[in-house]
Order: sequence, then C-alpha cells, then structure tokens
Amino acid sequence: MKRLDRRTLLRGGAGLALSLPLLEAMLPSASAQAADTPRRILFEFKANGDQTARRFSATGETTFAFGEFLAPLEPYRSDLLVLNKLSRRYNLLGDKRSDGHQQGGASLAPWESGEGSYPIGGKEGVTIGYVLGPSADHEIGTRVLATNPGVKYRHLVYRVGQKNNDIWNMHSHAGPVGTQNPVQPETDPYAAYSRIFSFGSDDAAAQVEIEKRLLKKQSALDLVLEEAGSLQTKLGRADQARVQQHMDALRDIERTLSGDNGAAGCLPFDLGTKLDPYKDDNHEAIGKLFQKISVLAFACDLTRSINFNWSGNTSNRVYRNLGLDEGHHDISHDSSDEAFVKIRAIHKHLWTMSTSLYEALKAVPEAGGTLWDNTLVVHWNELGQGDSHSENDALVVLAGRAAGHFNLGRYLDFQNKLTMADMLVSCFHYMGYGDVLKWGDDRLNDGAPLPGLTA
Amino acid sequence: MSARIFPVALVVALGAAGYGCQGNLQGPPEPNVGSGGAVSGNLTPEQVLASPACVRPAPGSAPLRRLSNAEYRNTVRDLLAQVPGIGPAVTSATADFVEEAESLGFRNNVDFLGVSSLVAQGYLNSAEVLAPLVAENAEAVGCSTADAACAKQFVESFGKRAFRRPLGPEEVARYSALYDKAAAKGYGFQTGVEWIVFAMLQSTQFLYRVELGAAKGQDFAPSAYEIANRLSYLIWQSMPDQALFDAAERGELSDKKQIEAQARRLLADPKAARLLEYFDQWLDLDRLSALERDGEVYPGIAANLPELLRDETHAFVGSLLQSPGGSLSELLTAQYSFLNAELAQHYGVSGPQGSAYERVEMPGRAGILTQGMLLSHDKPTRTSIVRRGLKVRLDLLCDKVPAPPNNVQLNLEGLGSGLTQRERLEQHRTDASCSGCHTLMDSIGVVFEGFDAVGRARTVDESGKPVDTASTISATRDLDGPVADTAQLAQALANSQAVRDCYVAQSFRFFYGRDYTAADQCSMAQLLIAFRDGQQSLSELIVALSQTDQFLYRPAPEAL
Repeated sequence: MKRLDRRTLLRGGAGLALSLPLLEAMLPSASAQAADTPRRILFEFKANGDQTARRFSATGETTFAFGEFLAPLEPYRSDLLVLNKLSRRYNLLGDKRSDGHQQGGASLAPWESGEGSYPIGGKEGVTIGYVLGPSADHEIGTRVLATNPGVKYRHLVYRVGQKNNDIWNMHSHAGPVGTQNPVQPETDPYAAYSRIFSFGSDDAAAQVEIEKRLLKKQSALDLVLEEAGSLQTKLGRADQARVQQHMDALRDIERTLSGDNGAAGCLPFDLGTKLDPYKDDNHEAIGKLFQKISVLAFACDLTRSINFNWSGNTSNRVYRNLGLDEGHHDISHDSSDEAFVKIRAIHKHLWTMSTSLYEALKAVPEAGGTLWDNTLVVHWNELGQGDSHSENDALVVLAGRAAGHFNLGRYLDFQNKLTMADMLVSCFHYMGYGDVLKWGDDRLNDGAPLPGLTA
Repeated sequence: MSARIFPVALVVALGAAGYGCQGNLQGPPEPNVGSGGAVSGNLTPEQVLASPACVRPAPGSAPLRRLSNAEYRNTVRDLLAQVPGIGPAVTSATADFVEEAESLGFRNNVDFLGVSSLVAQGYLNSAEVLAPLVAENAEAVGCSTADAACAKQFVESFGKRAFRRPLGPEEVARYSALYDKAAAKGYGFQTGVEWIVFAMLQSTQFLYRVELGAAKGQDFAPSAYEIANRLSYLIWQSMPDQALFDAAERGELSDKKQIEAQARRLLADPKAARLLEYFDQWLDLDRLSALERDGEVYPGIAANLPELLRDETHAFVGSLLQSPGGSLSELLTAQYSFLNAELAQHYGVSGPQGSAYERVEMPGRAGILTQGMLLSHDKPTRTSIVRRGLKVRLDLLCDKVPAPPNNVQLNLEGLGSGLTQRERLEQHRTDASCSGCHTLMDSIGVVFEGFDAVGRARTVDESGKPVDTASTISATRDLDGPVADTAQLAQALANSQAVRDCYVAQSFRFFYGRDYTAADQCSMAQLLIAFRDGQQSLSELIVALSQTDQFLYRPAPEAL
C-alpha cells in the first residue's frame, strides 16, 4: 500500500499539530525505524518512604519475591531491575541541607542546598534554600535537544495534586551548577495537554489561520528577543543573567512553533470530564491523565525526558479511596504496626497505578515493538522509610525494556555502599551519555555507573 | 517605647531559636548589625542611623524584578481597564500560570521569578487571548483613522502605559515596524494593533520593572517614572495611574514629601485592597483552599469554609489597613472579627443576617491568631499543636527551627493512644533528641487547643478530653513565661519587640521582593523607627516603606 503523507497542521498553538485520522497506511514500517528509535527516560516519584523490611519476602538475584506492597509489579518482573538499599550520603553535606525530605527530594539533583528560602534546618544563623545544581532529567533533556533538532521539549515536569512550589516539593532543577533554579512542574493535566498537543484539521481556511498565527508569534518573538538583547547591554551582570534566562526560554518556545511528526501512536485522546486537579480524591484520575500525556509525548517524540511525581515529597494527601482519614506524611511518622499497615496500603495503591503507565507504554506501537521497548522508568522516593527520615535504604526500581541496555529480571542489594547519584550515572549511560561519570556533588558519587546493571 | 530595640540587623541571623536545641534552650542570639557598615554590636536604630554607614543614602541591592503573577494580573486589569469584562478575561487568560517558587513564605522573591519556558509560554498564551480584546475596542485603541499613523500613535500611547514610561523613538519604530510587517502581509489595521499588543505583553519592558536610574546629586536614584512604578507596585501591586504618570512627567516625585503624599493618596484608593496579597502570603491564607476536613469528625461543615475564613481575615485586616490606628497589636489581640451569617453560624455566634461581613464582638478571640491562619496547617481529623506552634515560631517570631535528625524514629503521632495530643507530645519530649526542638513549637501550639481544626471555640478535644491551654513559653527573645490561653499569648506577642521586628522584616521581604542583608541596615533602622513611632500602625508602615533609602535611591550602577 502506498504510504500516505501526514500533513502537519499547525493549529496555531505552540504545540505540535497533526492531521487526522491515522490510517493503517501511515504507520511506519518497523524495520526502517528500529536502528534510530529514540531512547526515553521517565522518573517517577512516590513520597514519604515505605517500609524497608517488608519490601521483599525473598532476595535472590533472580529468585527474589515481592512483598505485599510491591506485589503489583510481579507480572512485569522480567522487565524490571530492582535496586535495593542505595545510599544518599547526605550526612556528608553537613549543614548544607534541611531535613531528609528536602534533601532526599533533590535525589535527581544531588547537590548541596543553598541559602535563603526556609527557616528549618541548614547552617546556624541562615535559612536553607533550593539545591545548587541541575537535576538529571533537565541535563538529559538538554543533551537530547542539542543533537535532535526535531525534539521540541527539553523535559516535561508533572506533579499530581499540589499547585504550590517550595523547597520540598520541587524535584526538577535547571541549574547551572552553583545556582538555585528550581523548575516549576505542570500540575493541571488539561493545561499540560493543550500546551504541547494541538491536533489540527485539513481544512484550508484553518490552515490559513494557522499560518497567520505562526507569523504573529514568530514576529513577536523576534522583536522581543531583539529588544531583550538591547536591554541586556544596560544592565548589571546579575540582571543580564535574568534576561538571558528569559531569552533562552523564548528560544525554547521558538523551537516548538513548527515542525511535524508522523510517528505511529501520536494520536489525540479524550481527557474526559474536567476534574479539580488539586483535590486529594482526584489524584488517581489526574495521575493517569499525566501518564497518558507522558506516553503521548514520547510517542510523538516531543520529549525524551519526563519528571513525573505522584505528589511532592512530604505529601500529606488523604487516601480516602483506601479508607484512610489521615494524611500520608502524618501516617508515615507513626512507627506503630497499625500505621505501617496503612503505609503498605498506600504504596500498594501507588505501585498499582504505576503499572498503568507500563500498560500505556506497551499499547503504543513503535518500530516493530512498543514504546515499552525503548523506555526506562525510574521509580524513586525521597526517603527509605518515613518514620526515621532514613537517608539510606533507597529503593529504585528500573522498569521497561530500555532498548536492551540493562540486564533485567533481577534484584540487586547495594547494602548502602553506593548511591542514588551513581544510579543516575547509569541512567545517563543508558541514554547514550557515557561521558558522564558523576552527577552532583563529588561526595555523593563514586565516579562510575552502578556495577552489574547492564546487559 | 522603652525597651532597647534590636536593630534587626538583620541579616538572616534573625532568630535561630534554640539552634541545635538539644538540652540548651537559651534564647536566640541577639541579632547583630551586619558587617556591611562601620558599625557592629547591638545598636538602637537611632545609633545605626547616626553611624557613618548611614550618613549618605545607603540603598541595598535593587535587582531587576519580574512582575509576580499577582502583579501581572493586576497590571493587565488596569492596563486594559477600558475593555468590558476584562476582570474575568484576565482570570481566565492567566489561569494556567504556574505558581512562583516560594522563598521565606513569599512568592515574589526576585531570585525565584526567573522566566522558564513554561512561564514564557504562559505569557504568550495570555497575550494571545488579551491582545485581540484591545484591538477590537475602539476606545482602547484611541484613534480612528485605522492607518499607520494611527498605529504609531497607539504604540506611543498604549506603550507608555504598558511600559509605564514614555517610549524612546527607537522603541516606537520597533513596534511600528511590527504593524508594517502585518500590513505588508495584507492584514488589516486591527490585526496590526493586535500584533503590537501581543508583542508588548511579552516584552521584557512590560514583564519586568526595569529601572536604569539616574544620578541625583552625589547619589543615584530611580527616575521619576521609576519612582511612580515603585509607588504603585508598593501599594496597588500594579501599574501607576494617570495622576502618578502626570506627577512623574512634571517632576513632582523627587522629594520625600511628594512621594509620601502620593503614597497616602494611593492608600486611600480602593486599589489599596490589593495589599491583602501580602497578608495572604504571609499568613498562608492562599493555602486555605487546600483545607481538607474529615466529614465524620466535622459533620456539616460548609463546603465553602475556606472562602469564608479567607473573607473573614480580609475584612478584618482590611479594616485595620483603612485606619491609621489599625496596629500590629490589634491584628494580634482584637476580640472581634468580621462575620457574615454563614460564618457566624459556623462559629456559633449570633448577629449577622446576610452575606456581608460585619464587625462582631468575639470575647476570647485574638485577632488573626484565632482566625483561618492557624487552621490551614491543621490536620483532616484534628488540630496540630506542632504546626500551629511552628507557624507562630516561624512567621510571627521569625525564628529558625533545626531539622529533625535523620535515621532515628520520629514518632510524632503514635505514642500512647488514649492520651490527648498534648499528652502524647509531652511523652514524645521525654526523648532528649526530640525535646529540645519540640519545645519550640509545642509550648506555643498547645495554647491554641481551645479552638478546633475548623476554628470553633471548644472545651473538649477530638477524643472528648478537656483541653488544657496553659503553657510556659520558652526560648524566645522577650516573651518567655507562663500564659493561660490565647488571649494572654496574644498579649505577650503584641508586647514583644521580637514580634514587631519580625513584622517589619516580613514586610521588607514582601514589599521589596527580597530578603534583607547587612547592606540594608540603614533602611531597616528607618523602618523600625517609623513602625515604633507610628504605634505599630500597619498602614503607616506601608507609607514608611516609601520613605527609606532603599525606596528613594538605587545603588550606583556597576561598570558594564
């Protein structure tokens, strides 16, 4: 059958636009694409630690058995690599940090914290600030943009349920090293969807309008950039840097104004009846929308790096759907057996929701397989166990076939000898950035990816 | 005012109460005047001002401030005021703006107002919605010939209001050229005007409060238009009005008296109600909407309780701001509040019949301390002694609290069921690793146990046990001692110089958009004196913020 062209229609939104409908003939042939199929990474965060002693009922490398709250992962075990008991070593940062939630929340950006934003913890006489360097999702995204002109977005950062931003709940950072520059997540899936996707029509009049909007945007951005450059020459250095960041952001937007994509699976979906994204009771529906948006962004190759968060750290969401009436963080600070029953229920619920991401990735065809074959999901938490703010005992689950980079189906216990930062180095290597041998503060790194992970 | 003033020198060294608090609970170190000048040690504000460091105007840093989201919304509402229905249009156009990263409790810290691509996208989307509303509106366009000359005139007139100063000729040319570009493509006048507005609303000249300053005698100061902007953003959180522009044009914003007169004019305007943004952020009223309360523990609670509580505090604080006598002391101790019928019913108070908020005497209450501000930090099923105490400790005393230790059990909730929350915490504090720091919060928090997690007075707690509000405050600069209830605690706070210094410090942070440093000692001393001499008047402190070295001057530009 003759392959059809997909005409790109810019509806005039900043986002990608695609014509419809998708026909069988438009699907790419598998063999043609396999070689340069993009690799993607999605970091997925759950809050407040779990119960370290109850994660596994057996811990053999291949004979491991999931405990109660990890049981939802069992059907996927051959596509998982379980990394138990990684350290964070934040004690080495001395007073350049706040509590375990705050610094653990910066696990993707394992730098010291700066000063000036919150009066809990930190050095005597000064307040603690945001971490002083970029997160892995940001750096990976920046590297992807540098060599892939067709990719529109450096990274996407999503958080379920919380609109406000503070030193605890912001898990993505733009840097550069030495700079506090937290990245605000998107928290409304409806806005997030319309920001990056706009699926147009073939109508000729619509096309004229799209071109007009595009010209308006391009003309305005040109003007604003020229004017900002002129302003810069009149400012001191610190203010020049502020304007420079703004100009960089405008160039990011320029990048998204045009372009096309014909990948299979890059199809709109119905977001359904609009729910309040900030109500605890809606967290599952909102989270699943963000999952679907993430998968679609991968399918359309709009980005290859996503920082997804089921909540901020220290989340005090009330899981009424589980019959609970107290907040998650409050429960996590109770060491009683009854409290841990609740913690396990919460985590079982969260892990079950994680598997819907797996299914969504598996449902999108790509290069003879599915997105699941070329994606790595990195599950992490700011703490090992909540009631003790343990900085050790971090559990990371790597999920997805990840282009065959990792030797999957195994359980590895690092006995708190190696770190979350080393784990991030492994992620860089998976994404093709083998030059990265440490990520973050030297003291938190061992200079190499985690041993024994790769195929 | 007798007591020695601690010259908040400020610096971040404020507080640090009981730092490293295991077993050593002396009061916090007295703040020192910072190292920025030739003075040191504990000086009164008068001594600071008499020191060599403050002989000449000594402004601290004045970084380029982006409009906060609240300032952006107010500014476009005022800029496009001629457009019918602009209020809801702006609300909708900016609904997707991401919240600014918080710093020291505020969302307008200049260091966290950077423009990421997500923020820039928000500006673009908003401009795309708003620009046609202007272009379609003949009154807003202001000329009717619908040609290039009219467009140029629009660039000058609208541009002056959008950039909040007259445009230079090269700027007029730049935006006129955008019109020409649209015309060359065959688009009509309206489209050309739309493009101009679309670009201006994304311009750095609109989105930032650009200040280049000018020499003023031996010193350096904002230009007249820059002062007009400082005034309007101080009090209205928005752009100047025509009278301020006119005063700038006539050079009538050059001395302190003129500026003070304008500040008082602005305060008397209804737009001064936007000052409530400061209180919303300081007291976390903007977090009330996240309030989740368990329907079984609190049956029949109005679904709109967060709005009712916010409106109550707005009405109360608004009344204090409208009267020069409205003071910090009254803010903390008032035994009255403002209720409508719905809220009165919630509190179990009689009086108000309608939806309007009226003053109601409420013996036993203590201003904001017993209003919504404390509740937003409570829990779904009960009060939180720790968080109520922490709120007072951090936001009213400007103290600092150490982080809990890692890798030890931090049981806050689970000890000894069958006990009251107070008793559980007392037990918790028998652990030495917890007691030092927890005393900082708990000793204050227990005093509020006479109010439940939805703000109603009570005599028994959630488990039916009698509440005990008596406590001994410790580890404060100047209010240690026994208190029986919130009324006594409120009085102690109102009498505390630490609380007054903290209020001034919080105001500095919000209204100047950054934390203070040693370089701000002269301006801080000016504020402390003005606050003291004004009997802690809330509105007079706003006026005083327009009279400091920080407001009236700029640091000399660095060599570029």
